[in-house]
Amino acid sequence: MLLAELKDIIRCKDLLLIFIWKEFSVRYNQAVFGIAWAIIQPLSFMLVFTFIFTYVIPTHVSNLPRPVFFYSGLLPWTFFLSSLNYSVPSLTNHHNLIKKIKFPRIFLPLSGIAVAFVDFLIAGIIFAGILFFYKIPIPLTALFCVPLTILLILFTVSFSLLLCSINVYYRDVGLAIATLLRLWFFATPILYSLDNLPERFKIITFLNPLAYIIKNLRICLFLGKPINVTEYLSMLIAGTIFLIMSFAFFKIAERKFADVI
Amino acid sequence: MSSNAPIIEFKNIWKKYSRSRIFHKSLREDIANIFQFKKNKDLSSDEFWALKKINLTIAQGETLGFYGPNGAGKSTILKLIAGVTYPTKGTIKAEGRIAPLLEIGAGFHKDLTGRENIFINGAILGMKIPEIKNLLDLIIDFSEIQEFIDMPVKKYSSGMYLRLAFSIAIHSQADIYLIDEIIAVGDEDFKRKCLAKMNELKTKGKTLLLVTHDLSLMQQLADRIIFLNKSEISHQEEIL
Repeated sequence: MLLAELKDIIRCKDLLLIFIWKEFSVRYNQAVFGIAWAIIQPLSFMLVFTFIFTYVIPTHVSNLPRPVFFYSGLLPWTFFLSSLNYSVPSLTNHHNLIKKIKFPRIFLPLSGIAVAFVDFLIAGIIFAGILFFYKIPIPLTALFCVPLTILLILFTVSFSLLLCSINVYYRDVGLAIATLLRLWFFATPILYSLDNLPERFKIITFLNPLAYIIKNLRICLFLGKPINVTEYLSMLIAGTIFLIMSFAFFKIAERKFADVI
Repeated sequence: MSSNAPIIEFKNIWKKYSRSRIFHKSLREDIANIFQFKKNKDLSSDEFWALKKINLTIAQGETLGFYGPNGAGKSTILKLIAGVTYPTKGTIKAEGRIAPLLEIGAGFHKDLTGRENIFINGAILGMKIPEIKNLLDLIIDFSEIQEFIDMPVKKYSSGMYLRLAFSIAIHSQADIYLIDEIIAVGDEDFKRKCLAKMNELKTKGKTLLLVTHDLSLMQQLADRIIFLNKSEISHQEEIL
């Protein structure tokens, strides 16, 4: 069943490409700043946090320059956040289409995530610029960012599929998501380092995949240490199982989209 | 043309809908049903049958009209054929590529130009990108809105909108065309053009399914009319 679905997706790949292109054109069509919006969000938050923790509440967050530290957490977080913001209402926004014509519904959330991912890549280039500006050498272990990004995509897609399909049935998801994401932001080590956290709270690294990803991004980028393979593989397996379950859930919910949307 | 092989077959189709606004049960039931291997086929208090014991065979190349009062189940039948919804009971077979004519607001994005929307709409209808590129000029010519094709569709009149939507759907190389209440919007000239195009599709052996409240138009086009009333087929009429 899963394989047949994948074949279906590949067969219709032109539609996915068109949807991604559409998301892009719609977004930047009447926007004067165009693609700059991709980096404005992480950059502006980085500046605000730097200001707060330098002048308002002077705090020692890490040994790194504050902008570098904050941006390294904001980068993956912004991808996760905008993916969910795009994908959760993607099905209900296209209710006219869903009621009329058959096509792989999964393309609607996926195209939103794809746009967020391009933003993520652009923001990543800016990150390289920031590192260069602060003369922070990039170690070879920075290559571990690739498997960590794969993990990030895996969890982002899973959460998106799960939440966007429930949102078709219960609009509560769309309403709750803003609050949920704001709380989630603080449960993720973006503003702080897990090293400063009391031992008994460290369990969140295992419950919150984003905490794991951001912690390890910083380890391999700034400490020049490789990621723990066993830990990574267990996260990867958990992520894959989660993705398969979310996908299966999406497929079941999908059959009634046109009836309940 | 009805001697051809059946392209669509409805076998004792029942379809129920819920009246309630929130679907407390349905998702939970669907998940539970996977483990219990049972299907919930009885009607509960807030549900109603949108279609009852529909048996229907449509041959390839046939043009079929559905006629009946609002809420009789015409659009539900088209939705079942399009594969966007599934029957509660019974089995449906529909073969070939299906092109529903998308109503205003469905397949179009208002901020994008007519040309861009041809690509979006075409892809939704199952066309590949090169296919759309090849047909682009034909689609624009047929719609007769060349001078406005690079304008955002939010600035279109509803007539221009319809012309483009119809033109895309009709050029989409499908086997089955679903035309729901749409021809009424255009002006006389365009209407005539659409009818000519539909007749052309008929001679090419395509299957056309029409829903309209214009009975004389339907009698002009269709080979057979299905009269629906209160979720059931009341009678059929062959047009000679």
